[in-house]
Amino acid sequence: MELLGVHGVTTRFPGVVANDNVSLTIHRGTVHCLLGENGAGKSTLAETMYGVHRPDEGYLTLNGERLDLRSPKDSIAKGIGMVHQHFELVKPLATVENVALGTTGPGRLDLGKVRARLEELCEAYRIDLDLDTPVGGLPVGLQQWVEILKTMYLGVDLLILDEPTAALTPVGVERLFESIRRMRDDGLAVILISHKMHEVTGISDRVTVLRKGKVIDTVQTDSVQAADLVRMMVGRSVELSKATNHPPAGETKLSVTDLVAGEPSERGSLCGVSFDVGAGEIYGIAGVSGNGQDALFDTIVGVREPDGGTITIDDTDTAGMDPRTVSKLGVGSVPADRINQALLMDFNIDENIGLGRHGDRPFSIRGVLQRMAFRRRAEQAIEDYEIACPSASHITRTLSGGNLQKIVMARELEGQPDLIIVHQPTRGLDISAAENVRQRLIAERDRGAAIVLMSEDLDEVLSLSTRVGVMFDGKIVGEMHHDELDLDRIGAYMAGVLDTTDTHEVVV
Amino acid sequence: MTAVDTPPEAPDADADDENGDEKTGGRWRIERRLETSWYLEVGGVVLAMVAAILTSSILISAAGSDVLESFRALYRGGFGTRDAFVETLVQATPLIFTGLAAAFAFRAKIWNIGGEGQLYAGAMGAYWASRILGDSLPSIVLIPACFVLAMLMGAGWAGIAAVLRTRFGVNEIITTVMLNFIVLNVLSFLLNGVWQDPASFYAQTDRMSDAYQLPQLLSSGRLHLGFLIALATAALVWFVLARTSFGYEVRSIGANPRVAAYGGIVSNKIIIATLLISGAIAGLAGASELLGTQLRLQPGISSDFGFTGIIIALVARLRPAGVIVVAIAAGALRNGATTMQITTGVPAALVDVITGLALVFVLLAAVMVNYRIRRPQTDG
Repeated sequence: MELLGVHGVTTRFPGVVANDNVSLTIHRGTVHCLLGENGAGKSTLAETMYGVHRPDEGYLTLNGERLDLRSPKDSIAKGIGMVHQHFELVKPLATVENVALGTTGPGRLDLGKVRARLEELCEAYRIDLDLDTPVGGLPVGLQQWVEILKTMYLGVDLLILDEPTAALTPVGVERLFESIRRMRDDGLAVILISHKMHEVTGISDRVTVLRKGKVIDTVQTDSVQAADLVRMMVGRSVELSKATNHPPAGETKLSVTDLVAGEPSERGSLCGVSFDVGAGEIYGIAGVSGNGQDALFDTIVGVREPDGGTITIDDTDTAGMDPRTVSKLGVGSVPADRINQALLMDFNIDENIGLGRHGDRPFSIRGVLQRMAFRRRAEQAIEDYEIACPSASHITRTLSGGNLQKIVMARELEGQPDLIIVHQPTRGLDISAAENVRQRLIAERDRGAAIVLMSEDLDEVLSLSTRVGVMFDGKIVGEMHHDELDLDRIGAYMAGVLDTTDTHEVVV
Repeated sequence: MTAVDTPPEAPDADADDENGDEKTGGRWRIERRLETSWYLEVGGVVLAMVAAILTSSILISAAGSDVLESFRALYRGGFGTRDAFVETLVQATPLIFTGLAAAFAFRAKIWNIGGEGQLYAGAMGAYWASRILGDSLPSIVLIPACFVLAMLMGAGWAGIAAVLRTRFGVNEIITTVMLNFIVLNVLSFLLNGVWQDPASFYAQTDRMSDAYQLPQLLSSGRLHLGFLIALATAALVWFVLARTSFGYEVRSIGANPRVAAYGGIVSNKIIIATLLISGAIAGLAGASELLGTQLRLQPGISSDFGFTGIIIALVARLRPAGVIVVAIAAGALRNGATTMQITTGVPAALVDVITGLALVFVLLAAVMVNYRIRRPQTDG
């Protein structure tokens, strides 16, 4: 029985079409998965159903009637609830109080009533939670239950869960699924956002696959194979924009062995990463975000100290070295977040061009800044990289994303580093700016640099890399040479269905 | 001309971060400026001052006094005569030091609120040096020794907060404020004990010998060498912040500690160094006051110089040259307050109100200059 209908919804953000003419229906008493890569538009679609975004085109219906949501307040009133990945809980307060907050009207606070209802819910869905512990003291997995209870308390017909398993242990996932099944049996519709294949096939009744903002298909889960879903998800008869010829790799420049950082249960931790990169080679690391890419970048460049394993650059073990020492070994690094990792936005362009080497010649002589050196270097970079800006002494903040990235590239590629690590080098850039960055990387490779390219843009990784490793749950689960690229396998690695490094438990 | 006046159904604004070019409606709008210029900043400060004066005049007239006459008296007392101006500079001297101390730390976004306590620690250091050295040496040795120990004591006092912050993650705002109280009690303990002048009933030390007195700069008035040291310190602070790689790192930490970390700048080192330097500068204020004007260590050696220094630093937008200007203005207010009280009966405490209002308005202006009001073009 149809509960919610999405009819031709298009939602645009500046520069992106997040949802492009999306249509689907959600039925009562079903678990409906939204499956797709990063940036496929899953979250935007869910948030549209929850009233966070208003569609630019198209409309929603609830029980066949036109639904106009102005804010989440409206959607809650209509029985639509959503649990985000980032919780909004008051940590010093207990679960009962958190639920009471904002759900009870003005006047006397009747915690007893709230508690009674919560106990009913916990009983009905087999939720094991101490309602009186301050939520800040609960593990993240249980905090999520508080969020779910908050939503359920309001009485919803449709519950939207955005990547609810990201913070959970396998046991926690099973518990959650058990409760979701009970909710479904009670006639609720549950929308689950995920990119993990075994979860999708394990829990859902129906799946909608999204790719680049468009609905690829909506299918009954039991009517398809996991492999079909993977193909739909990464799909595209990829026009592997030939990264030209791949010269043979030279001597090994970077070797990472069994690298560990953080606890295995922690999202984004490293659980034994191993790979190596040779001179003149681009080693691409594909994977859905949150599988350890940030930690890998940080440990290699020296911002974070690993908890185990080795990082060898040339013949030096660099694990635990500080970023300046690593950089002096001939390493250039472009972090994922230009604004919060790479550039001091309130500094001038020329000041940023020396960041990291500001204490060394030619930028400093005996501790005194050589402003002309900064200026000359910046002017050179502006010319070489065609950075659009009024002058070298202009404030960095005003530049566009593409130009910001050019400053970072100019800084990091200066001095012809032997090893270059780039993370999300083209995120948020327009097509020509992105193309510019990619051409640079190829040129650096041809010069003989070893390059590690981490990106969530699968096309980018596939088109540039000499070899591709896929990261999942803090490990490189599979590796392929550019002439044996197989999308089905890559998709399976990305979705955690396949793991060639772990022969003990291959999930099917 | 047909105005296209359809409010765009833009998606939620916080969904996109780097978005500047929204579709336009036809109404006046407040929007963020991408860049500000020096004349906007200076203009903002001037406007803020005018607003502070206007607001204070409401208070003055509410108190039943003549507004114009009061401000005239205030001006006369601060700048009106040569003697008044010289005394203004005397008042400004400790404020320049404490203003610089705050400005230096604030550049790194280290909130050292303990300038007052570090000033006291510095004064104690200077006095301590005099106890150790006695009168056996010439001034040229004694005075620098006092200043050095003052800086060490000021730095050491701030250093406690630095260690607590970097080792244990204790917020420096809390520790520096708390340390203000502690140093006052330590001083009180000493002044009622081993440091007390045996000839005096009061909790104060004996008068230091003339060898410790800072040279006077002018034949009349109290202006002493401390003023020149303050100016030199301002120049040095400017140089360190603007022209050295260490200053670059201090500013980087203040601008974005995460970016600084990726640039290989170790936050904790810079935090410690910044607090030590800030404390040392505040310590100089203590030595300058003790050796320049008072020569006797007593609990009232600072009249809130440390706290006023924070306001001065903020009003000066953390710029060393600005600190000098604002400190002299603040010195004139303090100095003129007496004249105002005598001639018009407006309590001298009003200048504290004016100073406070100036801070509020300057902070307001600092935010507002980042925005502009614009009527969007209808052709989009």
